[in-house]
This record gives sequence, structure tokens and C-alpha cells, in this order.
Amino acid sequence: MKDLTTPISEEDIASLQVGDTVTISGYILCGRDAVLPKVIKMIEEGRAGELGADIKGQVIFHTAVSPAGVGPTSSNKLEIESSIAPLSAAGIKLHLGKGALHEETIAALDTYNSVYAVIPPVTALLGKKTTEQKVLAFPELGMEALHLIKVDKYPAIIGAAHGRSIYE
Amino acid sequence: MSKSYDEIVSLVCDTLVDAGSTFREDKKEAYKKAIEKETNDKARWVLEQILENAEAAEENKSPLCDDSGIPHLLLEVGEDTPVTGKTLDAIREGIVRGLRKLPGRPMGIMGGDSERIDQSGGLDPDSAGVAPAPILLRRCEENVLRLHILMFGGGPAIRAKTYRVFHKHNTQVVLDEIVSWATQGVKELGCSPCTLAVGIGRSHFEATAMMLQAQADGRYDVQSEMEEEITRRVNEADIGPLGLHGNTSVIATFLKVGPQRASGVRIVCVRPTCCFEPRIATVELS
Repeated sequence: MKDLTTPISEEDIASLQVGDTVTISGYILCGRDAVLPKVIKMIEEGRAGELGADIKGQVIFHTAVSPAGVGPTSSNKLEIESSIAPLSAAGIKLHLGKGALHEETIAALDTYNSVYAVIPPVTALLGKKTTEQKVLAFPELGMEALHLIKVDKYPAIIGAAHGRSIYE
Repeated sequence: MSKSYDEIVSLVCDTLVDAGSTFREDKKEAYKKAIEKETNDKARWVLEQILENAEAAEENKSPLCDDSGIPHLLLEVGEDTPVTGKTLDAIREGIVRGLRKLPGRPMGIMGGDSERIDQSGGLDPDSAGVAPAPILLRRCEENVLRLHILMFGGGPAIRAKTYRVFHKHNTQVVLDEIVSWATQGVKELGCSPCTLAVGIGRSHFEATAMMLQAQADGRYDVQSEMEEEITRRVNEADIGPLGLHGNTSVIATFLKVGPQRASGVRIVCVRPTCCFEPRIATVELS
């Protein structure tokens, strides 16, 4: 078991292997289908500073944030999976979700020394490990806005790293 | 003796909360058996996490999953149990209150037809903005009015398939197709282990209605030969919990075969329900 705390270093990511069990602690970002393309557009326009958090070394959790809690949505949905390469290029170190990714995405993660981790959809347990939450950007998207949450030891398994996938 | 409007509202409200937060006892036992049999360490860890999550959700009466689901209702009507417009209003109000109490995820989309398709109408901030699907109604032998509430998540909806199968007058051909669709669906789901809900009918509507009834009628401790075969064959694909490999891709199969027509075609609906589904609770309203 490896304990990761945000911001995650390049060295920590380089040491991770597919199948490793990890815990994730600290402040992490949450976003999914609706908001991730908007975040990428802001980065492309050189407006990443307006997001309200430094994305270098960050985790992006593919989830909505609502009164029902948090839990991973499928990372291989079109708008989510297509965000993984550009967000990795911008400094995101760990993408947290569920489901198998395509080969091109796994290769892109390797290019930018980022990884993908799978988290069980255990909303009731994750609720006990989530201590703060706030909207960072695009509040009009409601539960799909870009959120920042503080987490304590979220459990996950490394699903893709260094060009390999646990789904092979 | 019939229940009052307010009594029905209250019962439906609490039943929806149970559906969204509770594993039935036969499902808990099925998970315990799967944990005992699973030989892959990571798969076993995931199964244990899912069961622990179910215990926490039941204790808190909180959602099993953040995708708290779309209410789907099956109403069973006995011989002398009247169903009026007011009964349906009370059920609808109970659903509204239940979604707020759970609380359900506020994921209803506002606006006209086009806005609801492209999501440009914005999200309703009220959990109760998630309208239930049309009610399915059937006759029951007991002289009661019984409501099943099922909460359908989005992941299984993406991977479900309803299509025709040319059966070649051989049941095995249809089973082979079900196994093929289910294996692909479970691979893509990401939230396995599944309970496979399967309906076979004469039209897309009927097959889907059978799929829903299969979830209301199915039991983890009572499996037919066809159900066992489907489960066993999909499990041979080594997909495992969350797709991380292992023996437990499917916990059970719930299959309902409806009336069929003289034809070379059967309409089959396969829904690979996620690790928490069927999220179901049942209440008598008479």
C-alpha cells in the first residue's frame, strides 16, 4: 500500500506500477463530462490561473459532487477520456475513475508521467473520508461543476501506468 | 382495508429510501459466498468494499452510489384493490419526498425538448426534479396493491442492449447471444460484479418490461438452469469486479421469458446491472 498526498511528485508517479494499491489524501479536483472540456478550453486559452487551484501535481476525480455523495463515473465516456491527455500535459498527475481506457490514452499517460487509478464506487464509505468541498468553477453546472474536495485515504488501484493497463 | 393518501405517500417515501440504500438479505448472502470463493486478492478486496459500503449505506440510510438512480415503478394489483388517479398522485408525491429524503442526486434536466437533449436547460437543483419512468402495471394473485421501486443507474443503461435474435428454433442460439452481449457489456461497465437482468418478448417494449420484472421477481438463492448457464459462461471471461480480473464478474442472472409469437425472431433485452443493482424495495399499499 502506497500513500499519496497531493500535490503528487513526479518521483511518486514514476514509482507506481499497474496493480499497486494506493491511498489518496489531500485536496483533489472533481469533474466529469460537462466541465472537463470547459477546463481544457481555459487551459488552452492560457487561463488556467482562473480555475482557482494549481493543477500541477493534482488528482482529477471523475465524479459529480452532490448531496448524494461522490463516486466514480465511467472514465471511458467520450468527453472524460478525451480530457486525460491534455490534462496530463497541463500537470494533472493522477486521473481517478473506473473502466478500461483505450491504448492511445494509456500511451498519453506514459508520455506525461501521469497515471490512471480505479476507485471502487463506494459512495457511503467515501462520504466518511471526504471532509471539505467547494465549487471552483462553472457553478451553473450544479453537481457537474469543477469542485475541490479534501479527502483522507481514498482507496484505489493503479489501473494504467508506464504504458501498461490492468485491463490487459 | 385501503390506506389514506398520506399513508401511501409516507410508505412510498420510505420505500424509495430503502431501495436506494439497502441490499436485500439474499444479495448480502450472495456477496458473502462470492467473497469466500474469489481467489484473486484484488477482486476479493473490491467485493469486501462493496459489502462494507452496503452495510454503511443501510446504517446511514444514505445512497449506495452517488448515481442514486432513476425511479422505475412496478405496481401489482390484486382482485379487489382499486387504483385511482389519486392513488397514482400519492405514489408520485411519495417518490418526490423519498428523493429529497435519500437524498437523490439532483440530476434532472430542465427546459424544452431540445434543451433536455443537449442539457442546455441546466440542472434542477432539487433532488425531486428526477421524474420517475412510466409505471409498469401487472395483476397479482394476492388481494393487495404492491409497489416495487427500482432505482436505475446510468452505467448499466449505457451498456444495456435490446435487439432481435434469430433463434433458428434453438434456445441455445438465444442463450449464446445473451452471453455474448452480456460479456461485452460487463467488460465495458466498470462497476461489476453485475446482476444480469434479461427479458425476452415480442417487441422492444415487452422485452424491456420483462427485464424490469425479472429484477423484481429474481432471487439470488433461486436460479434456473438457463440463469446458471449465463452466469457461469460470463464469469469464464475473467473480467472480475471493476474489470480487475477474477472469478466474480456476475453474481447472478435474473431472466424472464414472456409470451412469444410464431416467428423466427425473439426480442431480447440484456441489462448488465451494476454491483449495487437491482436497487429495489417493495411495499404493500392496501
